[in-house]
Amino acid sequence: MKRISFAVKTIILVFLAVLILPLLAGCRGIFYIPGASYGYYIWEEDSKVFVEWSADRKDSKFDGRISTDGKITEYKLNEWEEENDVIKVGEDKIEFSATLDSQDYSDGFSFTLQDYTYLEFDLKMNDDYDLSRTNIGGFLENPEESVFKVEKGYFDQLKEKPWYRKHPFSEFFSKLFSNKYFTFVYLFILGIIIIEILRITVFISRRRKIIGLVISYAVLILVEICIYFILKFLIR
Amino acid sequence: MRVKSFFKKIGSSIVTKDIFEDKNLSRRLYKYFLTGLFIRLIFLPFLFQRDLLSTYQRAAETVFAGNFGSDFQQMLTNVIHSIYLFIIKSIFPAINKLSPVLLEKDTWISWISFNSSYNVFTALALFKILYLIFDVVCMFLILRLSFDSEPENKLRVFKFWMFNPFVIFILYVFARHDIIGILATLVALLLAKKNRKYWAIIVLAFGIALRFFPIMILPLFIFYLARTKKDYIILSVIGISGLAAVELFSYFYFGGSVIFSLLNAQHFDYILSSKLELVVHDRIFIFVAVYIIIILSFLHIRKKSFDIFLNYGAIIYLAYVSLCYFHPQYMLWTVPFLIIIFIRRKSLLYYHWIQFALLLIILIYWGDLVTKFVFAPIDHKFFVYLAGPIPIINLFYSPAKFVNIFRSIFTGVSLWMIYLIYKDNKKILADELKNKEN
Repeated sequence: MKRISFAVKTIILVFLAVLILPLLAGCRGIFYIPGASYGYYIWEEDSKVFVEWSADRKDSKFDGRISTDGKITEYKLNEWEEENDVIKVGEDKIEFSATLDSQDYSDGFSFTLQDYTYLEFDLKMNDDYDLSRTNIGGFLENPEESVFKVEKGYFDQLKEKPWYRKHPFSEFFSKLFSNKYFTFVYLFILGIIIIEILRITVFISRRRKIIGLVISYAVLILVEICIYFILKFLIR
Repeated sequence: MRVKSFFKKIGSSIVTKDIFEDKNLSRRLYKYFLTGLFIRLIFLPFLFQRDLLSTYQRAAETVFAGNFGSDFQQMLTNVIHSIYLFIIKSIFPAINKLSPVLLEKDTWISWISFNSSYNVFTALALFKILYLIFDVVCMFLILRLSFDSEPENKLRVFKFWMFNPFVIFILYVFARHDIIGILATLVALLLAKKNRKYWAIIVLAFGIALRFFPIMILPLFIFYLARTKKDYIILSVIGISGLAAVELFSYFYFGGSVIFSLLNAQHFDYILSSKLELVVHDRIFIFVAVYIIIILSFLHIRKKSFDIFLNYGAIIYLAYVSLCYFHPQYMLWTVPFLIIIFIRRKSLLYYHWIQFALLLIILIYWGDLVTKFVFAPIDHKFFVYLAGPIPIINLFYSPAKFVNIFRSIFTGVSLWMIYLIYKDNKKILADELKNKEN
């Protein structure tokens, strides 16, 4: 019995460890691992806009332009190497060109803005656009166009986005719901197995086993109905 | 009354008479079965490794495009998958809808399309149910492999199979088809146990034609079953007949040799991967040398009991994964033999779990395909763009060295397991001698 409980604990721990990974990517402003993650990571914190990029220790070039209809008041460089990386900061525009390699894991800068309504980004990786690797405000919050605009307040709106609307949960729930016949048959089979295990372990010693069984199946049907509405709510 | 005895007969034939007639044991068996099934079903629709899709793509070539030679190296396995695909496509329209994805030649595009399709969970569950069927048959066959008149131990063997991490991982997470070949091998082992020597070798020959791997234990079968010199010749000929039949068929049907194609494939090079370099061209292939020692040591045992025979099966497959480059699914071949030995030597069970933990680390170096991409059906975009384990390890240490340290520990643990099995052999032989004297 002791060993079984240890096995159960281990399974729960592994399961939680697997869950932590996607949560890490979604809970903070943006999560990336310099030198392992690949792409642009843009977020806002304390009224500062952060633009950083990282590559998986391969020679990579990152260059681009950020412009606004407001005024750039101050900027700060992060992990900047003067010999490889160039930045030109104007009143309403920042242009940069930087490289990463096996020793240089990530670069970036942050800036503050005044009186602006939008920010326009034109960001390239190795002289090309890779929108799936351009993360604005969150992991896999990708732009739809090569040169894209971010309205003021976008980052605040994104923070209000619930976890189930973010990757990987949004996609997972959407597949479960769009494939509902499978999902409910699958869950029903799992439920039957659990009830059968209960029948031969818990209910077996009871006098009126049938009541336990009836209640279990009623609960299973209720759970299925609840899951239907929960999934419907999550993907709406 | 007749109905009752009919069900009694069926029950006995499935779970063996001694377990079926003991209420407590049969209830425990049912509990293990349900719990094991539950764990299997949890993984069934959500995870897979790219090879599963390739297997079904080849079957789709046969079923949808009529190309029988889409997988001529694993012809029989392809036939089984094709028949199964034909059945499920006739029943479930979801599979028919996937035919353009399955017939897509570009591996990356087909993988992305498959993972992003809305019915990916249905397709995966259906694809893997084939392995679940073989797995269920295997779990009830394994009950009969050893410990006759010891129902408690039989039940423990069943439990070890049901909760075996390799079985669950390889069939339901990784989703590889080795279980088909293992079923044939188990049937051959049972026939060997009952001394049906020709049938045992015929079934093993079929297993070899299915998945080449049982050829490693063919000499054990021959030495265990042969009673006369004539037997050695007949059993050897039958043993390789499966492969010869496939070779002949492929030669006449496809105009090419399947054996030479296999010998020239990288998979055969795995056997030769560990070597001692001597002078100029001279080198010793370590596994081949070790394999010969194992076979000769089995040959020289005078009274070969069935348990000793099973122990040698475990030794051979453990030696293979210890000394050669291997794919995770090859570990499955050790399981049917090891779970019998776990009853006599409990410590091996712990080492087996250590092997599994180490395998999960060794997996890292096989890259994204066998690590983060396994989760891709849940959300392919997320797992494609998520940083993989290799770049993360690379920040601190060479991933190759990191993985190879664990690989070496894996080899050490596996070789130690071989030693423990060797000790078990000695004990079995000593006990048999004692029994004889008494």
